Amino acid sequence: MTRRTADVLAAARKHDLAAAVATKHVIVCTGAGGVGKTTAAAALALAAARQGRRTIVLTIDPARRLAQSLGLRSLDNTPRPVKAVPGLDAMMLDMKRTFDEVIDRHASDRRRAEAIKSNRFYRQLSNSLAGTQEYMAMEKLYDLHAGGAYDCIVIDTPPTRNALDFLDAPKRLTDFLEGRFLKMFLSPGLAAGRTVGRVAAFGTGIFMKAASRITGAGVLGDLAEFFQSMEGMYEGFKNRAQSVYRLLQSHDSAFVVVASPETPALREARYFLQRLAQDGMPTAGLVVNRTTPPAPEALAHLTRPRAEAAARRLADGGPEHRAAAALLELHADRVDVHRREQRAVIAALHNVNPRALIEVPLMGSDVHDIAGLDAIEAYLVASEPSRSAP
Amino acid sequence: MDPSNLLDPRLLIVTGKGGVGKSTVAAALAVAGARTGRRTCLVEVEGRQTFSRLFDTSAWDFTEREFRPGIFGLSIDPEASLVEYLDMFYGARRLSKLVVGSTAVEFATTAAPGIKDVLLIGKVKEMERRRDGDGRFHYDLVVVDAPPTGRIVNFLRAPDATTEMVNVGPIRSQAQSLVDMLLDGRRTHLQLVTLLEEMPVQETVDSVAALRGLGVTLGPVVVNRVLTERFDAEGRKALTDDLEPAELAALLTDAGLDVGEDAAAALGQLGYSHLSRLGLQERMRDELRRRVTLPTIELPYVYGAEFGADAVGVLARKFEEAVT
Repeated sequence: MTRRTADVLAAARKHDLAAAVATKHVIVCTGAGGVGKTTAAAALALAAARQGRRTIVLTIDPARRLAQSLGLRSLDNTPRPVKAVPGLDAMMLDMKRTFDEVIDRHASDRRRAEAIKSNRFYRQLSNSLAGTQEYMAMEKLYDLHAGGAYDCIVIDTPPTRNALDFLDAPKRLTDFLEGRFLKMFLSPGLAAGRTVGRVAAFGTGIFMKAASRITGAGVLGDLAEFFQSMEGMYEGFKNRAQSVYRLLQSHDSAFVVVASPETPALREARYFLQRLAQDGMPTAGLVVNRTTPPAPEALAHLTRPRAEAAARRLADGGPEHRAAAALLELHADRVDVHRREQRAVIAALHNVNPRALIEVPLMGSDVHDIAGLDAIEAYLVASEPSRSAP
Repeated sequence: MDPSNLLDPRLLIVTGKGGVGKSTVAAALAVAGARTGRRTCLVEVEGRQTFSRLFDTSAWDFTEREFRPGIFGLSIDPEASLVEYLDMFYGARRLSKLVVGSTAVEFATTAAPGIKDVLLIGKVKEMERRRDGDGRFHYDLVVVDAPPTGRIVNFLRAPDATTEMVNVGPIRSQAQSLVDMLLDGRRTHLQLVTLLEEMPVQETVDSVAALRGLGVTLGPVVVNRVLTERFDAEGRKALTDDLEPAELAALLTDAGLDVGEDAAAALGQLGYSHLSRLGLQERMRDELRRRVTLPTIELPYVYGAEFGADAVGVLARKFEEAVT
């Protein structure tokens, strides 16, 4: 580990997410799938609500029992009060409905909105275009922000394989919607003077030939109809995406990157931290869930060779001796795993500054109720003022 | 209900919830395949270079490389598959040059969302069906480190999704032949990976139901990162019958470790949290057994200061034991 990484790590460990919870209007939890984003988001929202802030946690796909403990029963886009916590609402994102709302908002009239929503391509797009889920999460986020009912909005991002999709989503969708090939559909004359824009003319360009060979001709027809009916809405989409992006970039927002202590999740966390820095997005911290804590002070100097040597001497004794041997082996294993995890964290943070680094140890049981969230919250938002963010 | 048929099909699609260690399991399956004399190919589909890092090789690409005796590896992406596909069906090298590197691929794949998967699985099928000059199959085993289960379920529903969109053209017949391959239990097993934790077990239960509903043949469920108990029964009893820190400290001193009572108390705590994790694990194991009627293969949590090819080798042994 370089001197600089060591310093950054030491400084980051002194900070937590207390300031973000107390002051930020939007908190985005992001990271690889299966690392505990939803749990972190729920714990942060709990902390904000406990400080008297009107708070909502917007989740995408929570574990069943966690959802139940938050009082969520279905994906219905409706904020529900969390009974056990005054001032806290929770809501699950309904992608399809959110997309429909977007169309309703941007379409020039109802008839056109209905035409779009019944298009086959739209029905596919709203379910499976890469980035749609992320885009819709952003949409809903902006909606809640504009609604003004909440002091603090905490959102956990969809479990995408590549966490970067989240930042790219609004841009990707607008890029696509105003892309070159789309224009070829929509604007006569752009494709080398040919009239493109009618379904019948699609076979003309070599690109269209290639595209229809891949997709079949019917697709292009639906597609053309879809884009033609969307015409005039792109400006609205684009403005909206830009507003979302600006909101995320502002000092009212904070990103919390979540990872597990395994290398793949930490590698994604690293890319995400780099990307946030690159885009000028405000990073509040890196949360590493389910870590193996270091040996306590009393055992700090008990090395693996010494522990193993003693364990061997105890192994042939009575039950107490064998219990002691097993405890020494557990200690030796823990020291190794802790070191492996630390190495992965250090590698992820080489030349990257997460501001705050919070390692949440593996809990005795899965987190699925308010008490479990409280235990997580205690790590994310430690009470000592010395740990609050700069 | 024994898992000895684990490596029987030519194609293993390894999937599961994010974070359960799919890639590690896929790698271990491939190593086990090679060690049991199968000519094996390990396939990465999302271009994350997980395997080149794990096995410490140069970066993987669309070229199959024998990175260890008997194991080939490649990383497939939709673009490269598309070029090969266009070549195969149209001899359209000129066309493919125009298509690739433009936004055309992005465009076509966005137009019909199932297409990306058709192209990826299409390449997998080509490898699964490939024959050598003597008429024998080129690979005995193809292991795919696949996307999370939800996307596979979507793909298997894809003839509906894809063909609703793509009602003519070669993609449609291709999509159908891929679904045929995936649903043929003699050729393909889906290999679910899980952990003995609440969310992964829940998702496995849901996935099994969804995949069975689609007619997929499932291999044994691979349970990853299983803790093994460090105590024998008497030793555990000795600990839980109030082994006092002072007593433990004295035992340690006799064994040459003069660490004091605080250290002994901390060691005791470690023992109790170990037992509590084991208790949770046991409940999840029961839950899995009760709700999923498939054989399971448990892989041990691998300790050690490094996780690399050696650890994969340890896990591969478990698979070898299961099939021999």
